[in-house]
Amino acid sequence: MVNENQLREAVKNTVSRDDVKYVIGYKKGTYGFQVTPAFAFDSKDADELIFSPLCTNNLAVYPMLEEKLPLRRGEEEDTRKIGLIVKGCDSRAIVQIIQEKGLKREDVVLIGVPCTGVIDPKKINAKFPHQTKTVDVKEDGEKFVITIDGKTNKISKDELIFEKCKHCEHPNPVLCDILIGEEIKSTKKEDYNDVKTFEKKSLKEKWDFWEKQFEKCIRCYACRNACPMCYCKECMVDQLSPQWVRRSVNLSENTAWNLMRAFHLAGRCIGCGECERACPMDIPLTKLNKMIEMEIKEMFDYTPGLDAEEKPLLAMFKPDDPEEFIL
Amino acid sequence: MKDFEPNIIGFLCNWCSYAGADLAGTSRIQYPPNMKVIRVMCSGRVNPIFVINALQQGADGVLIGGCHPGDCHYERGNYLARRRFAILKKLLEYTGIDPRRVRMTWVSAAEGKKFAEVVKEVTDDVKKLGPMQHFKRENKW
Amino acid sequence: MDKFVLQKDTLPKFISEMISKYQVFAPVENGDFALFKQIKKPSEVNLKFSNSKVPPKALLFEQTETLFKFTPGTKGKIDQADIPDGKTVVFGIRPCDAKSLTILDHVFKDEYEDPYYLTKRKNTVLVGLSCTQPDVNCFCTSFDDGPASAENVDILLTDIGDKYYVEVKSDKGKQLTKNMNKLFTSANDKDGKKKKEVEKKATDIITRSTKTDGIVDKLDKIFDNPFWKNIAIKCLGCGTCTYLCPTCHCFDIQDETTMTKGARIRVWDSCMRSEYTLQASGYNPRPTRMNRVRNRVYHKYNYYPKNYDIIACVGCGRCIDNCPVNIDIIDVVTEAREVKA
Repeated sequence: MVNENQLREAVKNTVSRDDVKYVIGYKKGTYGFQVTPAFAFDSKDADELIFSPLCTNNLAVYPMLEEKLPLRRGEEEDTRKIGLIVKGCDSRAIVQIIQEKGLKREDVVLIGVPCTGVIDPKKINAKFPHQTKTVDVKEDGEKFVITIDGKTNKISKDELIFEKCKHCEHPNPVLCDILIGEEIKSTKKEDYNDVKTFEKKSLKEKWDFWEKQFEKCIRCYACRNACPMCYCKECMVDQLSPQWVRRSVNLSENTAWNLMRAFHLAGRCIGCGECERACPMDIPLTKLNKMIEMEIKEMFDYTPGLDAEEKPLLAMFKPDDPEEFIL
Repeated sequence: MKDFEPNIIGFLCNWCSYAGADLAGTSRIQYPPNMKVIRVMCSGRVNPIFVINALQQGADGVLIGGCHPGDCHYERGNYLARRRFAILKKLLEYTGIDPRRVRMTWVSAAEGKKFAEVVKEVTDDVKKLGPMQHFKRENKW
Repeated sequence: MDKFVLQKDTLPKFISEMISKYQVFAPVENGDFALFKQIKKPSEVNLKFSNSKVPPKALLFEQTETLFKFTPGTKGKIDQADIPDGKTVVFGIRPCDAKSLTILDHVFKDEYEDPYYLTKRKNTVLVGLSCTQPDVNCFCTSFDDGPASAENVDILLTDIGDKYYVEVKSDKGKQLTKNMNKLFTSANDKDGKKKKEVEKKATDIITRSTKTDGIVDKLDKIFDNPFWKNIAIKCLGCGTCTYLCPTCHCFDIQDETTMTKGARIRVWDSCMRSEYTLQASGYNPRPTRMNRVRNRVYHKYNYYPKNYDIIACVGCGRCIDNCPVNIDIIDVVTEAREVKA
């Protein structure tokens, strides 16, 4: 259970530094179980920040989203740092971006929060639909205590947290400047059971499954924008000369888009699940990314987002890389 | 499948496999005519989107030809391509596309005979698998 | 307006009658949500969802639409695309979505008549279904509208217990029910009263709202207010709100070709994308998310009302439901009213 007062103190200390622009955290949303990213520019803003099991957003997406406009004459670039509240998975995203030289380590100040799992909005909305009033969620051992309109409900964590959280091997931030609370010791292991079960299916079954999923896609690109690792200035789908993926929405182009996005995240996806959460059509995008994560671990012994000094997966090679598939 | 002539696209690297294909031709070695060759300077230039575009536009199989490890004209392009391709193959198989449709090979400029054998093997494999229908562009307009 | 009553167990027969004469689109279950799809049997229809995920504007203003076809070369020619003009019924459309079609009509009809949208609009009959269980973020009541409004549909069905109260509003609706006398019985005053009760009950379930009177003038005054930066700084620019909005209508035009033929197609676009206003010179008049989010709110609540006298928002709540960072239009409009000019 994260001490919110300690969190707010840390944010206040960070935001009052001269070299910090603002600190990004979470605050209460506008209805029901919603939680929204909050930007604290001064100590007063910091008082609104919270941290609860409902804080699912990956805030690591924001440093790369900041627009750097052309400077006016005489104007100096604002090189101050950005403060971020990061859970375990979020910090891996920052480490991976640093590894790829998208950010420098000095550009961010990380306030780390140990996390035992966050609540899947779909699951909690299915249990308590139609919430407009104030709700409150706290941790209590292996259960969540949910207070709605004065009444409390105790639900086991397993019923409400994301599937990805049940196999999380990094509950503590892998990189941070300030840690709120004590590090958590966790015995959860990523065994890729879901991926392995799917791999056993026949080719026809696999295609039938993905065909149904890709036909649902409306190419809104919410997955791309919610992903902290998708920060290309010009995405491949927006390129017109040459045009690789057409803009029409049909099975062929949707398949090309989803496969290429999964490929571009090979060795970079840290499994935060934001893509799946943002997708309005409920396409199981993390299924593809998890499979690639498993394969690169096996084939190249590489795990993204752990070591900022390592070289990125597809930018390096080893002379003895697997090549049994090569004729 | 009788009478099915597969369409195979070959991305051959200029310095090794393209030259090897050339040698197969000048040596008058017979091999199936189903492969349409696109010359690239290095196998490392091959972007996975090329493979997916090829499958979308009617190719039944794709072959990527590069230099042997250590022999790349640009020192390391084939190594990078090897990594990329290993991941692409797994991704396609996971989606339900038969991995025997998309192949990679090391063919040097002196291996004309090997090139012909590779093309024969890939053509035979793809012929058995049948036409690629899964995510072909329909161009229904 | 003719008023009838349709027994609930006769509903499948009604749907079958429509299927025999029209192409019928209705909400179909698709996992955890509903989508409007073409149905062939009444059993495919699922009316339990409060609304579909993708609005029925997608049936008239299709996501990918062929404008014309062409062949290359000196002997090449250009052919008009075949615009589907079959008689269509959209069954189970909610009053808010039906209102959105009336709002979209201005774009596609007033200054230039768009044949692709108008052909389909002319040949489509809207059989609406009143809401009995509005969702958390429904706020149609903020626009002088309601969950059981018959304003923009041809026929409106309201669930009043074991039967539906049927209001046939327009000539298209009369044409549809012409030979279906044996399915309907005349409605009496008791049925009419029950409908009003159901309508009131549904209206009471809607709790979220914002006041929209005077919003056009207020927005005129606060264009340069820094409050827009605070709203937009958390926007990801993902485009989900625009694709699921029943009144959003931005589009892009592209040519798709093979070596032997091609077509010009129109696809949905989103003003939230960073390259939406990117010009060929590299200059972008809306370079930051603040510009784009502000533009979207102004388009719906200021520019559109100035041009066509109607706010281009129907209060369906889809943008609020699906925004990954909880940008809430109800909140934005309420705050905009309170900000100091």
